[in-house]
Amino acid sequence: MWLISPMMFVLMSVAVFPVVYSLWISFFDLKLRRPKSAPLIWFDNYIHVLGDPGFLDSVLRTSSFTLMAVSAIMLLALLVALLLNENFIGKKFLSTILLIPWAVPYVANGLMWKWIYDSGYGALNGALLQLGFISNYLIWLGDTDKTLALIANAFVWKEVPLATILLLVNLKSIPEDLYSAAKVDGANIWQRFWNITLPALKPGFTLVMIYEVMMAVRHFDLFFILTEGGPADASHVLSWEIYVETFRKLSFGLGAALSYLLAVVTFLLAFFIIKTLGKKI
Amino acid sequence: MLKKLIIFVSSLLLSLYVLGPLVWMVSSSFQPENEITSKPPHWIPHAPTLENFRAIFVSNNEVVTYENRKQGDTASGGFIPSTAKNLLPSMLNSFIVAITVVILNLIISTPAAYAMAKIRFIGRSTSIYFMLATRVIPDIALVIPFFLFIQKLGLMDSKLSLMITYLAVTIPFSVFILVSYFESLPDELDKAARIDGCSRWQSLVYIYLPLAVPSLVAVSMFAFLTSWNEFLLALMFTQTDKSQTMPIVVASFASDFNISFSFINAAGVMAVIPPVVLAMIFQKYIASGLTAGAVKG
Repeated sequence: MWLISPMMFVLMSVAVFPVVYSLWISFFDLKLRRPKSAPLIWFDNYIHVLGDPGFLDSVLRTSSFTLMAVSAIMLLALLVALLLNENFIGKKFLSTILLIPWAVPYVANGLMWKWIYDSGYGALNGALLQLGFISNYLIWLGDTDKTLALIANAFVWKEVPLATILLLVNLKSIPEDLYSAAKVDGANIWQRFWNITLPALKPGFTLVMIYEVMMAVRHFDLFFILTEGGPADASHVLSWEIYVETFRKLSFGLGAALSYLLAVVTFLLAFFIIKTLGKKI
Repeated sequence: MLKKLIIFVSSLLLSLYVLGPLVWMVSSSFQPENEITSKPPHWIPHAPTLENFRAIFVSNNEVVTYENRKQGDTASGGFIPSTAKNLLPSMLNSFIVAITVVILNLIISTPAAYAMAKIRFIGRSTSIYFMLATRVIPDIALVIPFFLFIQKLGLMDSKLSLMITYLAVTIPFSVFILVSYFESLPDELDKAARIDGCSRWQSLVYIYLPLAVPSLVAVSMFAFLTSWNEFLLALMFTQTDKSQTMPIVVASFASDFNISFSFINAAGVMAVIPPVVLAMIFQKYIASGLTAGAVKG
């Protein structure tokens, strides 16, 4: 028993206590500008948040970012895992370089893409122009229609390696006999993929999806580095909203209520994925 | 034949997608201001310069005078911030925090994981779920209570505040990975050791730890990278160069419009080298260590 007590102590004091404390704060009108008077207002913070049309907008932005990012990650990771499951020259090199994005800090990842997307001198414009796809330099991050997708791309670049590793382990665990048996029965490569590989990858998909959805919903770093919620609120997602309310407007009570809502949404999402995908494992 | 072609083309595309952005970052970091603002971009610097890295490594000892300050003026281009000298100390801060977190993390997680994997105690599965549930909570939801908590303890702007919070962030993951790894090792080892008179502790230290090395390396790597890369909590809890970590200093460069992109890229290169080198060194442990038992087919 004493073996797990240090862990329990740490988790209680730095994970459970803050969560309970956060709930407590969310019932107060606590503003750091006037910390001495923080009246108890019960659910007013929540009512305020839910009644704010801006809140719904930021929820929608978070959802579309998550949807774009996670579907791209799943698709890319599946393709890369299938590729790395084959034997070919240069496979070792590929699996080695694939680890690099995983190790790159989000801050460095963010400034790297910020420079690539730069509308004045960035590599994206330069490459597209030299390849003849565009005739003039375009605006990228500054174009509200493209902002979220471009941030999602930076996120995908960094998240694909881990997703690939998880899927690859799953892929390697599929018994070879299944494929030989299917071949004997005359199944073509597409049928084998559809009827053997995909169903067998369900545990891997579930794990990757839960993990990546959680990461995408809460993601903050890239929004801070690349756009600071802009332009014109185009990337004003939920996590950015929490940051602004809490640390720019210093409304701790409201910020706590917002983060509670985010935590509940994350919980429900994880639960939903486990229930729908996980059941059939 | 067709298959070979598909493999070849997709390998090429993948390498380009992964390495392209990084190569461009490295190339930009060696370009002087007049090159970095050329259209179309110079993919390979024509006249590479070490100016940015010089500013990071040696500007510390230089006295800023009117003359050399003017050289780095915005109007004349190639602005290198005077805060360039903060980058190396911030990397040291990051390093101290990360190493401490790795050590404490291993000391706390290993016994807990061993107990959860090998001892059938009441509440065993509950404690695993409880531990995982703490990771479902977004970091940003923890920031406010942490902030007030750390302010009350007077730990604002200290490395200790970061170490404590990073432990909370990394321990659940470490325990989760180690539990699945210990579970994949046979129970008989434990029983045999206990019959031979080993205590639980001895069985863990002498029997299981040597077998769990790949997993321990992977877990350490993960804790190190998480601490080295963490941004949000560090942004809230650090204010001066006494405790500011690398991501904070690098982000402060990136958000300043006066600073040359060539310098920002140099800072990015500095930030990327240590974690990437570590990942390359411990490469073979990562996949095997991270995923043992995590995905059961």
